[in-house]
Amino acid sequence: MKKHLLAAVILLSAITTFGAGYQINMQGIRQLAMGGTGTGWVWDAATIYYNPGGLARLKSIQGYASMGLIMPSTAFGNQMSSATTQRQTFTPFNFYVGGPIMQDSKFALGLGVYTMAGIGLKWDDQWIGRYIIQSISLKAVGIQPTFSYRCSDFISVGAGFVYAVGTLDMRQSLPVHGQYGPGGSTDDDGSAHLHGNANGVGFNLGIHLKPTDNLQIGLTYRSQVNMSISGGSAAFSVPASLSTQFPNTTFDSQLPLPQVASVGIGFRPSDRLTLQLDLNYTGWNSFDSLRINFTDHTSGLQNNHAPRHYRNTLTPRIGANYKVSKVISFMAGGCYDPTPVTNGYVSPDLPDADRVVLTCGITIRPLPRFTIIAAFEGTTSVKRNATYTYGGFDGTYKTEAATPALALYYNF
Amino acid sequence: MRKICTIGAIAILFAACRPSVNITTPPTAGRAKFTNYLAIGDNYTGGFMNGTLTVSGQLYSFPNLLFGQMNMVPPPYGANGPFVQPLLNSDNGYPGPKLILGYTSNSCTPTTMYLAPMSLKNFVPDPIDAKPFVSASNNGQINNIGVMPIRVCDYPVLSWGLAAVANGYPYANRFYKNPAGTPLEELNYRVNNLYPTFITVEMGMNDVLLYALNGGQGDGTGNALPVALNIYNPNDITPTAVFDTNYDKIINAATITGASGALLNVPDITALPYFHAVPINGLILDRQGQADTLAAFWKDQAWTKVFQPGSNYFIIKDHHNNTRQAIKGELILMTCPMDSISCAGWGSTTPIPDNYVLTTDEIQFIQSAVTAYNSFIYFESVRHKLAYVDINTYFQNLSTGITFNGITYNTQFVSDGAFSLDGIHPTQRGYALYANEVIKTINAYYGSTVLPIDVNKYKGIEFP
Repeated sequence: MKKHLLAAVILLSAITTFGAGYQINMQGIRQLAMGGTGTGWVWDAATIYYNPGGLARLKSIQGYASMGLIMPSTAFGNQMSSATTQRQTFTPFNFYVGGPIMQDSKFALGLGVYTMAGIGLKWDDQWIGRYIIQSISLKAVGIQPTFSYRCSDFISVGAGFVYAVGTLDMRQSLPVHGQYGPGGSTDDDGSAHLHGNANGVGFNLGIHLKPTDNLQIGLTYRSQVNMSISGGSAAFSVPASLSTQFPNTTFDSQLPLPQVASVGIGFRPSDRLTLQLDLNYTGWNSFDSLRINFTDHTSGLQNNHAPRHYRNTLTPRIGANYKVSKVISFMAGGCYDPTPVTNGYVSPDLPDADRVVLTCGITIRPLPRFTIIAAFEGTTSVKRNATYTYGGFDGTYKTEAATPALALYYNF
Repeated sequence: MRKICTIGAIAILFAACRPSVNITTPPTAGRAKFTNYLAIGDNYTGGFMNGTLTVSGQLYSFPNLLFGQMNMVPPPYGANGPFVQPLLNSDNGYPGPKLILGYTSNSCTPTTMYLAPMSLKNFVPDPIDAKPFVSASNNGQINNIGVMPIRVCDYPVLSWGLAAVANGYPYANRFYKNPAGTPLEELNYRVNNLYPTFITVEMGMNDVLLYALNGGQGDGTGNALPVALNIYNPNDITPTAVFDTNYDKIINAATITGASGALLNVPDITALPYFHAVPINGLILDRQGQADTLAAFWKDQAWTKVFQPGSNYFIIKDHHNNTRQAIKGELILMTCPMDSISCAGWGSTTPIPDNYVLTTDEIQFIQSAVTAYNSFIYFESVRHKLAYVDINTYFQNLSTGITFNGITYNTQFVSDGAFSLDGIHPTQRGYALYANEVIKTINAYYGSTVLPIDVNKYKGIEFP
């Protein structure tokens, strides 16, 4: 069996954990291993994220910690040039603690601290798209105090308040050369560096239904969290004669983490096997444009509103858990994650394509109260030949990565 | 052991995970034969930039960039090297210095420094450039015979190259086989020498540009008579009939070997930054008092005048020697001295002289000539089965902005990135963008797949 797992891992290696767009879907490792499903069935304290209504179903207070490693790489090519992003490692993490306030209580409280977004791309400084983007990093962590109440064995509800903090960092070349730079090359281009802290608030609602022991249903709604940046730093490096045109200044911006409505079903046809199905409807269309509004304006420095016109997406996910023994279970799953980015708006700062996601994992419970979960998720995005009209930039993209993740939890 | 294997395998998997996308469509010639390429034309073909000829301008002339892309097409129909241009030795300018950006001030406000194009200081002409250019390749092969300021109507003029020297344009004299002959004879010689299979003809711009650069000093109506046998006043617009006759001769001579190729039409040159660097409504009044003073100054004049705080149209002299206030759409030449505007009351209390102004009727003369020339160029392209490159439309698009890989190029003086400091000739990037337009049309016409140029690899304007 172990051999087979290794084989599965190898098959899945050409793969990522990015969700479509700039979301990350790694808030629970068992859920991750089951194709990202988790709205319907309550497994562990990660339900604070997946369905806060399920928190009151936990038997006791649980402490949960997890971390993943995302090592993505995006390649670009067109008739003039090709490029691959530099290797970067992202480490989305999650902590949850929560459960019924007392043994057999109907009330449950919890706190989740989870990574909502965390992506980045670093192209070579001299690459062909440098006047659009050289590097970008976008990070957001949500902090969610949660309350849940089990009305009856059939229905339990929950709600969480979400406070998110994060950062946005972007670099790009400016098309102004100096007279005294190294001749004939582009090393003496100007550059812009934007860096800002972002925060926003939202909420997370869930209803968990349990018609029978072998059938669970979840309905959730996560509100949009508008990550707003105010007073971020905008630093420019330009030839001396242009320094008044490009004053170092501050900027405001806003980036939506989209609202998601989900419905999930968990079904246990036999003692050993659990099957799950989730549907996520994600309200990406609120990402209308990437707006950078500078505090100071000159004829050279104007606000930049890059149109994005994302569209809403419907993502189906399936997953299975097979319990080999009291100690070991295996998980597998997958999903089809359609891209919210429509053609004409595919920018090299957030390139995106439809993704087919395959996942697997193993759960080991060495002690009755202690559980270890290891998972791999992989995304293969097809090569996408796309245009970015606003930037006059065309080409073919492909993103790949390998992503392992590990979680530990303890039931008090 | 097994654990180590597992970890090792995973590590290898991570390492192997670097995608790549290589678009390796090999370029093809389609029905064109790029083998021997001859470029016929004027300033743009020659690679003029920053007000003069420099070796770096020549290396980024659009025909040299185009050759580079056609050269990537594999034999037998890819372009064969060498692509010989009459290269200079010096990058400082020939015969005069190039323009660079530097700080200057007006005589009345000497402490207010601003950035403006100025001639390279301490310029010394390179003695090597003064000598005739002799190509060392196959029988003196030259592939680019573009020279400034040749017009279509100059092609039958004897000793044109020699006469141009006297006017400060020694370029043709430097490499023409026989400067005492006509440009048409030079073309015939190059065609016989090179036996071109592919040509580009970029001609006609100077037939209107020279008139415009003099602020419309000639007759302009397109009915100019020759000042001597076959010789037309360079400050006037070439009559359409003369243009047509000579353009036809050029194409007949150029295609006698059955060459494929492309004819580039004439842009509406009034869109060039040269005519927009000084805005026609650049008379800035800060206070109502200034407006009142000016209104009082001109109160005896019958013409309509509007003076108010903010931007106002300049006072000009038109080519009927009438003083009046300019109207929307009229143009001031870049060479109009800023000192005189700022310090000597030009445009406010003294009219800007006619030779710095293009008035509405002069602009119409230019535009109708361009339209007439272009309809003949199109006719010739059909008759000789050659690609027709609509440079005029390309310039129109450029004036509203063309975004290429994140940079928006336009015709804003200095900040546009596409035109050099003389306001007329492209920068390296501008020539590359122009060459891409030619490539696009050639590919469409001949079914070829010549690759586009990564424009942003090259230089735009350089700032101190």
